[in-house]
Amino acid sequence: MSLLRSIASGIRSLFRKEQVSHELDEELNGFLEMAAEEKTKQGMSRKDALRAVRLERGNLDGAKEVVRSAGWESFVETFWQDLRFGLHMLHKSPGFTAVAVLTLALGIGANTAIFSLTYAVILKSLPVPNPDELVRYSFSEPGLSDLSISGPAYDALRKHETVDQDILAWSGTHLTVRENGNVTDVRGALITGNGFRVLELAPYIGRTFGEQDDAPGGGPNGDQALLGFSYWKQHFDGRKIALGQALSINGRSVRVIGVLPPDFDGLIAPQQADIVLPLSFEEIINAPTPERHGPPGDNWLTVIGRLKPGESLESARANLQATEKIVREEADPSHRFMGGLQFHVESGRSGRSFLRGDYSQPLLILEVLVGLLLLLCCANAALLMLARVTGRFREFAVRGALGASRGRLLRQMLTEVGILAACGLGLGIWLGWAAARSLVSMLGTIGEPPALDVTPQTAILAFAAGATLVSVIVAGLWPALRASRIDPALDLKRSEAVSSFSSNRLGTWIVPAQVALSITLLSSAVLLGGTFIHLLLEHAGFRPDGVTIATVDLSSVNPTPKQAGRDVRDIAKALKAAPGVEASTILSGLPIDGGWTASHYFSLGKHGEVHTDMQTWVEPASPAYFEVMGTRILEGRGFTQADEGGARVCILSSSAAAYFFPNEDAVGRFVYSGGEDPHEDGQVLDPRNACRVIGMSEDARFLSLREAPPRVLYNLATGDEWGTGVSFAVRSSSSSLAAEAIRNAVRRQVPGIPDPEIFTFNELIENHLGKERMLMSLSVSFGCVALLLVALGLYGVLARSVTLRTKEIGLRLALGAQPRDAVMQVIRRGLHLVIVGAIVGVPVALASMRLLKGLLFGINPDNPVAFAMVVLLVFVVVVGVSCIPAWRSAKVDPMVALRHE
Amino acid sequence: MADKPSDLVQGTLDMLILKTLALEPMHGYGIAVRLEQMSKGVFRLNAGSLFVAFQRLQRAGLIRSQWKATENSRRAKYYVLTDLGRKSLSSETREWGRQVAAIARILEAS
Repeated sequence: MSLLRSIASGIRSLFRKEQVSHELDEELNGFLEMAAEEKTKQGMSRKDALRAVRLERGNLDGAKEVVRSAGWESFVETFWQDLRFGLHMLHKSPGFTAVAVLTLALGIGANTAIFSLTYAVILKSLPVPNPDELVRYSFSEPGLSDLSISGPAYDALRKHETVDQDILAWSGTHLTVRENGNVTDVRGALITGNGFRVLELAPYIGRTFGEQDDAPGGGPNGDQALLGFSYWKQHFDGRKIALGQALSINGRSVRVIGVLPPDFDGLIAPQQADIVLPLSFEEIINAPTPERHGPPGDNWLTVIGRLKPGESLESARANLQATEKIVREEADPSHRFMGGLQFHVESGRSGRSFLRGDYSQPLLILEVLVGLLLLLCCANAALLMLARVTGRFREFAVRGALGASRGRLLRQMLTEVGILAACGLGLGIWLGWAAARSLVSMLGTIGEPPALDVTPQTAILAFAAGATLVSVIVAGLWPALRASRIDPALDLKRSEAVSSFSSNRLGTWIVPAQVALSITLLSSAVLLGGTFIHLLLEHAGFRPDGVTIATVDLSSVNPTPKQAGRDVRDIAKALKAAPGVEASTILSGLPIDGGWTASHYFSLGKHGEVHTDMQTWVEPASPAYFEVMGTRILEGRGFTQADEGGARVCILSSSAAAYFFPNEDAVGRFVYSGGEDPHEDGQVLDPRNACRVIGMSEDARFLSLREAPPRVLYNLATGDEWGTGVSFAVRSSSSSLAAEAIRNAVRRQVPGIPDPEIFTFNELIENHLGKERMLMSLSVSFGCVALLLVALGLYGVLARSVTLRTKEIGLRLALGAQPRDAVMQVIRRGLHLVIVGAIVGVPVALASMRLLKGLLFGINPDNPVAFAMVVLLVFVVVVGVSCIPAWRSAKVDPMVALRHE
Repeated sequence: MADKPSDLVQGTLDMLILKTLALEPMHGYGIAVRLEQMSKGVFRLNAGSLFVAFQRLQRAGLIRSQWKATENSRRAKYYVLTDLGRKSLSSETREWGRQVAAIARILEAS
């Protein structure tokens, strides 16, 4: 009540200022008159009476000021005054304003961009009610974490994990949708019938699935689908008509029953779920299995449960531990599939993310770098503000003399910084959003960009506002304190040169701090840039230039891999004859794509010793394989047409050859494929398992560019080992010709399948290096910005000191100093600032670069060359920047300078 | 300077103004004079603090104001105690009494 009254009264005095002030005047005058009347009655003259009242009751004008400033509205009013005055002052110096706003916007924008990404990848929770109640179950095995869970294991978990209200299973998938005669590949997802109840997710329109819908054949209502919000917008223009319509998905007619809410992208980031179907649809996409949710060895489900009220992640862990034995027994009665797997339960708040593991560390590093950048920007803004305070010290002194309090001057300066920062905030959010979007597209260059929503949301805006607040405090408080400390009595008498001395001294620690920060940023740029270049130049055992790759999905016309073999061979044959194609081959999988295979092979040495390898990488290859991929044959020969249909032959990579035949010549010897038991080695049970080595190739990094190449055994491909998803690689002088040839071959040989996805081998490598490229380009741009900021900051400080010391320089020159001395003095001052900065910065950078260790390749975090380069670069820039004010100081004309003032 | 008017104990001015107004509506000068008289010249109030207090009390809803003519037919702003103000005065008076008694007990101990 009284708060409302206070607001109302305050608003009244704000908007009816004249009247309120008039009333106060009248009231106080009345007070004065009445008091004076009293005194005159006692015999005083009116003049004496008025004087006496003032002495007793204080100055009435002062009282008026006190009353006026007591209410909250006076705060608003002075703020409004400060704001208008500040805007006026900033408007008067547009150059300063633009530089300051841009500097702050850069710092805030960079922070917003990285935070948007961090938020989207790491922090964001699923858009469902009470996401903290969700827990996620997963498998892990040595070296591999966060694996999917098998169907039987899911069923067993659902039965035994009593801490959960219920548990859902989800799987990302690809769907083939036929629309107006066009066949397209759509990212879809499958979910158990209880899924939306577990998530407590309500549809945007229509309804979601129930338990009865997740049944073979779609349950009582036939096959039904939910659409993702953006898919609905794109394909149905966001119209309700979509409900009840039938889509042709993988040859089935599926009815649309609902649309999912706009912020729901699915449970696995960054796989956007455009169409969601009941889990039972899996038997349409792939062949039906006897088990309801797939065989025990098939780990394909993302499993999320919702805890009962009062349960916690700890109790879920305890529950899992208590029931693990029986879950294993039920899920894998033969004990053949889950022996090496471990169960895990963790928070399911954010769902599952394939980016989180990969990008957590890089994003943390980037957050640190970008934080340093913000400090650097603030330091520059502080230097700018200081210069401004010094330039306006007369104004402040006058205002102080006229009665402005320290607090009032402080507020004025902070308001001005606040205006700059607010402009910086607006610009920064916009810049940050744009940058975050282009960063997301950097995360993957092949296919559709990852579904990561980086539109500014409350959390991101709050973060940006926080960054702005930090910058106001860092950049504004010091200059503001400096302004408020101006002593009118002294400063009005002083010349500008003397008064600004202390602010100049402040530059002597801001600039070194900037140098130290920029050395840290530049070091990270050199190290991360070096890593990227190393990875690019590292010979991976392939010759990617001129290679075009296409992935083809044959599943919509071939229910089994066996049938697909014929189509694969047809496409391969058509490709061979296509114009512009120098050579072409079929690939079982994409190289450097994270895929992984291991088989058991062994060899017998000259003296009968056995070399067993459980991790041989078997790569089926056609005769043209080595020509297309550019892997060189070092000894022996490659495959030829004549090898097809003959006795088994193979080619070993050099590390495989060294492993199977240490210190021996591998060509002409035999390796044997083993069974599941490594102890049967040494006895060649079946001559058909023997494979004659006809050549040795160089090592190729199939796993990733960072990891050591696996021991590869190239088999001659028979054509039947390809599944329904195959890739073709084409060597050609023109990637567009190659793409055209592939597209034509696929369309002509196998009509009715989605268009192949086509990219070059180099694009595949770029995609593989997405993380490194992002770190490299960001750290390099941060480094460049840092250098620019240091240059600007130093220039400002030096230029100012030359201006202020014009008289001194003139005097020196008049007394016989050479212009060279003046020049050297300025450059020495610049170098002095930088040396101090480098002395602090190099150890700081050395210490902090250890954080990068896990991300580097081919370069050490304490690489002396890298640091020498950075320091040299900073020195060159500093000397270059110092030259301009130095040159100006040499141009000082003693006569003019001494007459100055 | 023994007869110099003392400063008020902090926070008591509001209570004293309310007490003055409890007798009858009064204008600012009247309140100042009344306070001085009742305290026998111990409290002499500065106009600034007095009018700030008026504004504060008004915003808290403890007093109202209206323009009226004085006995000397001068226009002045009269302050009137509201019901809320009356309640607040009685509770503050009780609280003050408790505190004074407590302080007195402490000072008289030993």
